[in-house]
Amino acid sequence: MLFKDDAVARAQHQAVRENAGWYRWTHDLVEVTGTDAEKFMDRLFVGTITKTPVGRTKYTTMLNEDGKIIDDTIVMHVGEDLYWVSTLYAPQFLAWAAGHQDGADVACRDITKEIDMYAVQGPKSGEIMNAMLAQSVDGLKRFAVADNTLDSVAVKIHRSGFTGELGYEIYCKAEDTETVEAALRKGCDSFHAPELTVLEVYVRSLPVEKGFALRQDMYGLTPYECGLGWSVHLDKDFIGKEALVKAREEGPKYKLVGLEYLAESYEDIAQREIVYQYGVPCGFVRAAIYGYTVEKNIGFAVIEAEKAVVGAEVTVGCNDSPAVITEKCWL
Amino acid sequence: MALLDQLESSKCVETVWGKLIPEKEAYQYAVRQIAGFCANLFQVMRILEPDFEKRTCAICDISYMMNMAASGEEYMNQFFDEWNIPEFCKKDAWLGAIFGDSGDEYENMAGRVIQFTHDRVEKELDTCPWDIVGAELCNMTTAMFTANFDLSSPNGENQVSLNMCEARGCGDRHCRVVAERRDKYDLPKQGWMDHMQQPVDPVHDTPVERGVRQGQIIRNDRYSQAFGEEKSFTWAYRWCMEKGWVWCIAFPLIAIRDMAESEEEFERIFKIVFATAGKNAFMEPFAVEAMRTYLGVPHDIGSNDPRLMGGYIKNVLDTQLVPCKLERFTKDEVVIKVDTETFNGRFPMAPIDELTTGYEVLWHNMVKTMVSAEWSCWFEGKDDEYMYIHVGRKVDKRMI
Repeated sequence: MLFKDDAVARAQHQAVRENAGWYRWTHDLVEVTGTDAEKFMDRLFVGTITKTPVGRTKYTTMLNEDGKIIDDTIVMHVGEDLYWVSTLYAPQFLAWAAGHQDGADVACRDITKEIDMYAVQGPKSGEIMNAMLAQSVDGLKRFAVADNTLDSVAVKIHRSGFTGELGYEIYCKAEDTETVEAALRKGCDSFHAPELTVLEVYVRSLPVEKGFALRQDMYGLTPYECGLGWSVHLDKDFIGKEALVKAREEGPKYKLVGLEYLAESYEDIAQREIVYQYGVPCGFVRAAIYGYTVEKNIGFAVIEAEKAVVGAEVTVGCNDSPAVITEKCWL
Repeated sequence: MALLDQLESSKCVETVWGKLIPEKEAYQYAVRQIAGFCANLFQVMRILEPDFEKRTCAICDISYMMNMAASGEEYMNQFFDEWNIPEFCKKDAWLGAIFGDSGDEYENMAGRVIQFTHDRVEKELDTCPWDIVGAELCNMTTAMFTANFDLSSPNGENQVSLNMCEARGCGDRHCRVVAERRDKYDLPKQGWMDHMQQPVDPVHDTPVERGVRQGQIIRNDRYSQAFGEEKSFTWAYRWCMEKGWVWCIAFPLIAIRDMAESEEEFERIFKIVFATAGKNAFMEPFAVEAMRTYLGVPHDIGSNDPRLMGGYIKNVLDTQLVPCKLERFTKDEVVIKVDTETFNGRFPMAPIDELTTGYEVLWHNMVKTMVSAEWSCWFEGKDDEYMYIHVGRKVDKRMI
C-alpha cells in the first residue's frame, strides 16, 4: 500500500522514471534442456518459441486446457537446447511441465537458488551498464540476452525489465552475488541511482503506470481478456489452443481493465475487493497502488466484458469508493 | 439471484427451529464466542495475578515459547512455499508480517498492511473481535509475532522491534503493530512490557471514511495476500474454529494455571468467573426476546422451556463447527450428543479440557436467567468417546 505523501517511495519511483535505480529481484528460474526443449516449450506457450533464436527472449503466457492463463513468463533462449524460464511460480511450472512431457527428451530444473538477478532500470541505465561492464550494451536489443563481465565476474545481461523504462537485468551465479552487488552499488552510486528498497514501487507503482500486470492479475482469464491477443500464435499448436479458439469466437466474458480510484486514498480496497456498477457487482479489483508519475491512485480490475467500458463510473468495496474504468496503461 | 440458483453455493447453519443463519454470520458469531471465552479466562487471570505487568509478562513468555515450538523451521518453510513468497524476500524481514496478516484476516481482524518493506512493516486494524478482552492480550500478540520474526532470523537473534502502538483493547480506534528492524533504526532489544511504544517512523492513520468493518473473507469471499495467493472464506472459517482457540485460550491457559497456588484454586476461580458470565448473559429480559428472534423460536415454545437453552447450545456448537446431534428435544429435557475429543480438541494438537469445564458452568448458569432457575445444564460422559449435554430439571440443596 503506497500513499501520495510517502517521500521515500516517491523518490525511488521518480529515480527510475528520471534517472535510474537498481534492486535485487530474483524471479524463480527454471532451466529447460534437451533435444526436444524447443518443441516442448513451443507447446507449453502461446508464443512461438521456435522463432526465438539463441540470445533472444520472449514474453509469453502459459494456458491450461481451458485456454485460461496459468502463468506469464519470460522465456530466454540462452543456448542450444537450453532455455531459462523466468516465472514467479517455479514449483507450479515444474509440476505442469512434468505432466506434459509425453516422453520428450527434455529436463526441467529449478535453478532459482543458483542464479541471482539484479535489475537496473531507468533512462540512464544504459550509461550505468556501460560504465560497469566489460562490453557495451549499446547493441543489445530489447528482449535480448548476452554474456558479459562485471568486475571480473561472468554475467548475463538481459535488456528487459518491469518498469516500462529502458532497463537491464544482470544474472550471476549465487556465489558471485556479493561481488556483483558491490560493483553495482558502486556503479549506480556514481550516477546517483539509488537502490530501490520499497517492493511496491518496483512491483506495482512503476509497472502499473505502464500497464504491466502480474500473473496474479491475469490468472484464470484468456489472453484476449487481458489484452494480450497480440501474443497468441494460433498458427501453431499449444496447450489450451482449442478452448482459446472457441473463447475467441464467443467473445470475452471479462476484461482486465484499468481503474482510477477517485478518493484521496484506498486503504479500504484489497486485491479482491468487489467492484459495483449501480450497486450491482460487476467484477473485482486486481491491484490498487499510487502512481507517483501520474499522481493518481490506480490499478487493475477484472470486469464483466459488457460493462468494461472506458469512462464508466463504478464503486469499489464496502465504502462505495468511487472509481472510473480506464485503459490499463497511464503512460 | 433466485434461491434455486444459489442452493448449491450458499451455505447456512440451520437452527433447531429451521431458521437459516448464513455461513458468514455464523462465522462472525462463532469468532466472537471464542473472544468471549477468552475474555472470561482473562478475568480468571486477573483474580489470580493482580499485578498487570506480572501477568502480562507471564502470558507473553508462554505464548512466545509455544509459538516458537509450534512453528518450527519446517513449518515456516512450508508457509513460505504455500504463499509463494519470492525467493528474494528475506525470511527474517518478511515472513512474520505475512504470517500475521493472514492470521488476522482469517479471524476477521479487518484492516490492512500499511507498509511492507525490508526494514519496516506496519499493520493497522479497524476491527478486532477480541477487542473486549483487554490490554494483556494485545501485548501478548506482539510476543507471538516476535516468535514469528525470531524463527526466521538467520542468526537466531531478535532483529526486529515490535510495537503495538495502538490497540482497540486499550480503547484506541485502531490496532497498529509496527515492526522496525533494530539495526536500521538503532533500537534496543525489547522486554515484554516494552511493546507498546511508538515506532520511530511516523504511522499512517487511515481516516474513518476509508475504514472497513469486516475482513476480506467476509467482504470478498477470500483473503488475498501480497503475492496473489488466496484462501477461501470456507477455508478460513475452518482454520479459525480450529486454531482460533489455540493462541488466545490454550497458550495463555498454561501461564494462568501456574498463577494459581493449586489446581483446586484454579478450578474454583475458573468456575466462579464462568458462572458469573453465564448468569449475566440473559439478565436483561429483552436479551431472551432477541435470542428467540435470532434463533427463530416459535411462540408455542414458552418462556419456561428447556428447548430454549438446548436450541441455543446447538447453535453455538453448529456455528463452531463441532459435530453434534440432538438425542432429546422435549419440553422436559434436551440431550445433545457430542464427540468428546472434538469438543475439547478443536485443534487436535492442543486439546483444552477447560472448554468442557467452562461451557458446562457457563451454560448451567446461563439457563437460570434465559429460562428459569428450575433448570440446569450438565455434561455426562466427559471421559467417554461421546459426551451428552443435558438441559433438565435438577434440585441441589447446595446449588451455586
